[in-house]
Amino acid sequence: MKLEKHHKSALAALAAAALLGTFATIEFLKMHQPDEIRPSEGLTRTGMLSDYFDWLKGTNGDTPVYYYEGEEPGATVLILGGTHPNEPSGAMAAFVIAENLSVRQGRVIVIPQACMSGYYHTHPLEGQPQFFTVEGRNGPRRFRLGSRAGSSLDQWPDPMVYLHHPSGQRLSGSETRNLNRAYPGRPDGTFTERVAHAIVELIKREQVTVAFDLHEAAPEIPIINAIVVHEKNQDIGAGALLNLEMEGLQYALEISPRNFRGLSHREWGDATDAYAFLMETCNPIQGRLRGVTDEELVVEGVDKNYKTALELGRMRITYDPEGEPLDRRAARHIEAIHQVLNTYNELHPELPVVYEGFPTYVDLTEKGFKEFLN
Amino acid sequence: MRHLLTAFAFLLVLGTVIVSAQPATLFEQPVLITSAGQSADVTMAGMICKRVKVEAKAAPTATEADLKGFKTLMIVPGFSSKGLGAAGTSREQEMDRIRKVIDAAKKNKMRIMMVHIGGKARRGAQSDDFNELAMVSSEYAIVVKAGDEDGFFAAIAKKHNIPLEAVDRIPDAQKPVEAAFAK
Repeated sequence: MKLEKHHKSALAALAAAALLGTFATIEFLKMHQPDEIRPSEGLTRTGMLSDYFDWLKGTNGDTPVYYYEGEEPGATVLILGGTHPNEPSGAMAAFVIAENLSVRQGRVIVIPQACMSGYYHTHPLEGQPQFFTVEGRNGPRRFRLGSRAGSSLDQWPDPMVYLHHPSGQRLSGSETRNLNRAYPGRPDGTFTERVAHAIVELIKREQVTVAFDLHEAAPEIPIINAIVVHEKNQDIGAGALLNLEMEGLQYALEISPRNFRGLSHREWGDATDAYAFLMETCNPIQGRLRGVTDEELVVEGVDKNYKTALELGRMRITYDPEGEPLDRRAARHIEAIHQVLNTYNELHPELPVVYEGFPTYVDLTEKGFKEFLN
Repeated sequence: MRHLLTAFAFLLVLGTVIVSAQPATLFEQPVLITSAGQSADVTMAGMICKRVKVEAKAAPTATEADLKGFKTLMIVPGFSSKGLGAAGTSREQEMDRIRKVIDAAKKNKMRIMMVHIGGKARRGAQSDDFNELAMVSSEYAIVVKAGDEDGFFAAIAKKHNIPLEAVDRIPDAQKPVEAAFAK
């Protein structure tokens, strides 16, 4: 049979589509390969989030949990990175802690990638890279950069309006896959609400004393370099801020609004006995003003548009014209955690947490990840 | 001799400057700390008092009735829309509350001091009404310098003859707070 010209064109188009589709599938599936973590010798056991809610087992919502337990009883600390996978300093801070930590008294539980579903895709139309690479002690380490929200493959469709459970608060439908609008969650709710439920179950069952949720925000958002606290632990937050100021790190203290529901700093504090803290650093890849969004912007944080805005006096916050590098942002989180725990120990000497191995802000900013990732 | 006289005059002027940044007499404890504008800075002021062992209670939305039993009122001014929202109050209601608290404190012969630690973030159109009211009502003020780069507080201090201590950073406020209170 002799093919007509248009048949040949159609076959060529189909072949090109199949080729592109195959390439896109391979690229998409690469994001299902887990990031490698090389925990410190202080690790005492590992588990999964599904240990606290069986339904998650085998789903994209399950994620590793790392336990560092001291020989003496003390406070239990939870450190959550990757609630929003496009805010990499939180996950990187959690990785650095997990790869260097040793606990003498009490326990530290680390979940580096809380919203694992969000690590399986990037946010549509944002043009962000899928991966970024930093130098570790033993060579380059590649990590995924995901989306702010969980994947539509895990939860679909989005409603027009998202009704938070149990408050009934109305938010944009796009927030329905946002883990940090889903707390306290529920066992029979949406995929995201079930992940939130598992985290709250962990906090309850492990009797977490102090809990951290690490975030970032665009340079133009005033809440950058802030610590948001539940009102029951505002004195600990205030003490930490004083300590951070002594270290030359400026932060703003924000009390969690009672009427803004679904966020960790509100719902963890309300639903559990934990002292809840949420921290923010400055992330240029989230900004509306940013230019080319590539690995370099993720890691080095230098964007000429923000530099220009700063020079024109259009920025409400302090933006370093030399950039906001990822190691410095992770260092801010780690130092802030350290100062919160110092203040917690000062105010609650009856049940302290004692640990070592955290790099200091100066160490991490001067030496970079190279000295602190295995 | 001339050099000695110059040095003496310099020390005298320096001494006057230092003394002028101190309250006329020491404040007494216990202290009620309240906000003017509902920023979280009131919590910071509470922690500053705690660290220097000044007996104090932070009550961001204190009313006249809460003043009973306290000898000093510490006002921490600074506007926060989030804080007002969390307190369930409006800017106007907050201004009314703080005016009444100040009037009641004066009537009860309580002494008043102001601590402004929020820097630039607690300045500007939304905050300055609270800042001015707190400042002119106080016998002594401590200000983090970043909040007074334009000399706003310094000008009020000069006009009303209020001792003003400017500190570089928030933790530096601990020293003048400690020094302001009788032990």
